[in-house]
Amino acid sequence: MSERTYTALIVDDEDLARAVVREHLAAHPEIQIIAECSNGFDAVKVATELKPDLMFLDIQMPKLDGFEVLELLDPQPTVIFVTAYDQHALKAFDVHAVDYLLKPFGLERFEEGLQRAKARLGSGEPSRVQATDLSASAKSDWPLDRIVVRDGTKVTLIPLAKLDFIQAQDDYVLLKTAEKGLLKQQTLSSLESRLDPKRFLRIHRSFIIQMDRLARLEQSETESWVAVLVDGTRLPVSKSGYARLKDVLGEA
Amino acid sequence: MHPILKNRARLGTYLLGWVPIAALLAAQTAVKETPLPAALILGLVGAYLAAVLFLSSFFLCRALPIATSRSSTLISTWLTASLVMGTLWTVVMFFVLKQLGRVYPALSSLGEINVVTLLVSGTIGCILYILTVALHYLLMTLEQRQESERTEQELRVLAREAELKALRAQLNPHFLFNSLNSISALTTLDAKRAREMCVLLSDFLRKSLKLGERTTVALSEELDLIRNYLAIEQIRFGSRLAIEWEIDPAVAEVEIPTLLLQPLAENAIKHGIAQVMEGGTIGISAALNGEFVEIHVNNPVDAEAEAPQGLGLGLRQVKQRLLGRYGGRTFFEAKIREGRHEVVLTFPQHAQEMQS
Repeated sequence: MSERTYTALIVDDEDLARAVVREHLAAHPEIQIIAECSNGFDAVKVATELKPDLMFLDIQMPKLDGFEVLELLDPQPTVIFVTAYDQHALKAFDVHAVDYLLKPFGLERFEEGLQRAKARLGSGEPSRVQATDLSASAKSDWPLDRIVVRDGTKVTLIPLAKLDFIQAQDDYVLLKTAEKGLLKQQTLSSLESRLDPKRFLRIHRSFIIQMDRLARLEQSETESWVAVLVDGTRLPVSKSGYARLKDVLGEA
Repeated sequence: MHPILKNRARLGTYLLGWVPIAALLAAQTAVKETPLPAALILGLVGAYLAAVLFLSSFFLCRALPIATSRSSTLISTWLTASLVMGTLWTVVMFFVLKQLGRVYPALSSLGEINVVTLLVSGTIGCILYILTVALHYLLMTLEQRQESERTEQELRVLAREAELKALRAQLNPHFLFNSLNSISALTTLDAKRAREMCVLLSDFLRKSLKLGERTTVALSEELDLIRNYLAIEQIRFGSRLAIEWEIDPAVAEVEIPTLLLQPLAENAIKHGIAQVMEGGTIGISAALNGEFVEIHVNNPVDAEAEAPQGLGLGLRQVKQRLLGRYGGRTFFEAKIREGRHEVVLTFPQHAQEMQS
C-alpha cells in the first residue's frame, strides 16, 4: 500500500532548530522537505512559489514573525508551530494551527504532531482561515505596530508611523504612505479593530486617518466636513466620523 | 491622629506643662489681694480649662499645614481663632468661678465680669491659645518627620526587594529552552559540540546562581559570565553572531552591582542579532575615563524596523539600578546610531558609600 506523499517547508532562523525537525522527518519518506527558510521573508516567497502542504513554523524570527508569515499565505498550508515560547499557544489555536511544539521536544511529541497534520491533510479539509477572522481573533498583539502586505512574492512591511490614511476599496484596503499606496486583502473594519483608536480614527465609512496627519477640518457648502491632511489630501468626513473627531479633539 | 491624645505619656506631659501656667495665673490674681486658696483655685481652673479647650487647635493645625499654606491665611486664621477661643475661655472660666462662688464665696468676686477683667483675661486666653497652636504644629512636624523617615526606610527595603526579584528573573527561560533545543539537535549532529554546550550551559547556570547571592561583584567576574553567555548564543546562532571585546585591564577589580551588565548582553541578542537576518557583531568595551568606568555595548539592528519608543524593561532596570547605587554620579544612554543600537553607561570607579 503506497501512502500519499506531502511536501513540507521548515522555517526557523536557527540552523540547529531546523536540523532537529529535518532529522525527525528523515524517518518519514512520505514527507518530502522541499525547502528550508531562515527568515519570514524567504518563507513567504518560497511558500507562495512552491505551495507546500505542511509547514513547520518558528514564531520569533527576523523581519516577519510566524503569524505574519501565515497571514500572508494564500492558500495556507497546514501548520505546526515550533517555538520556545508557550505564550502564543492560544493564538496558534486561533489561526487553526494543527499543533504547537515547544522546544525542545521529544520524538513521541513530534510524531503526534505529524500524525495530526497528516490526518488534517488527508481529510482534505481546507485550513485556510479568512484574513478577517484571523485578524479579529488575534487580539493578543493589539494594537498592531506594523502591517504586512504581500504582492506576488514580494513582502512589504509598513510601520504604522508611516501610514497617512487607509481607504476601503471593495474587499481590499488601500494603505497610503507618503511614498506609495499598497493594497491588502482585508476589510476596513477588521483592520480598524486592530488599531489604537487614539492614533487612528475612522472618519468615514471608507476612510481611517492617522490623527497626527490631520491639519484641519473644513466645512464644505453642503454642511458636510472635509478633513485636510498635512500633505494637502482632502478626505470626506461623515456625520458619525465628525462626532468621533470632535470627541477626540475635544479631549486634547 | 491627635499628637497629644495618642498616648498617655504625651497627655500626662501636656497636663504637667500647664502647672506653671496655673501658677502664673494664681500669682497674677494673688497680687490683687485675693486669698491664696482662691487664687490657686482660679489658676487651676483657668489653666486646665484652657488645656482641655485648646486641644481642639489640632483641627485647625491639621486643616492648615504650616508648610503648604499661605502665611497671610495662616496669620489671619490664627488671630481669628485665638480671639474666638480666648473669649470662649474667658466666658466659661467666669461662669465656672461664679458657680464655685456659691460654695466658696471668695471666688464669687473673681467671677464678676467687667470690661477690665474681660480684656485682661481675653488677652491671656489669646496668648495661651497661640502658644498651644505652636505646640501642636511643633509636635505634628516632628511626627511627620518621623513618618517620612519611616517611609524612606520602607522604600529602601522595597527597592532592595525589587532588585533581588530582578536578579532572579535574569534567568530567562527562553534562553534555557532554546539552548536545550540546540543541545537536542547537536546530540546526533555533533556529539562533542553537544557536550561542550552542556558544559557551557552548566557553567553559566552555576555562575549566575552564585552571583545572585551577592550584592556586588568584580567587573571581571561579570564579564566572565557574559562571555559564557555569549559562547552559548554563538553555538545557537552560528555564523550570525560575532563578538568584539575591548576591555581595559584597569577596570577588572572595580566592584559593580551583581548582574548589572548581563541584561545588556541579553538585550543585544534579543533585539539585535535575533532580529537581523544576517546577524552581525556585538561590541563590548569597558575603559577607565578619569574617575569613571565607561561601558559601551553595541549591536546591529534591523534597519527597516520601527525604532523602539523609550527603554524596554531590561534597560530600564539597568538604569534604575545605576541610579539607585550611584545616584547622580552616573550616566546612561541608549540610542540608535548608524544602524547600530548603542548603550553607554558610566559610573564612578569607587562607590562613595555602600547603600544597603
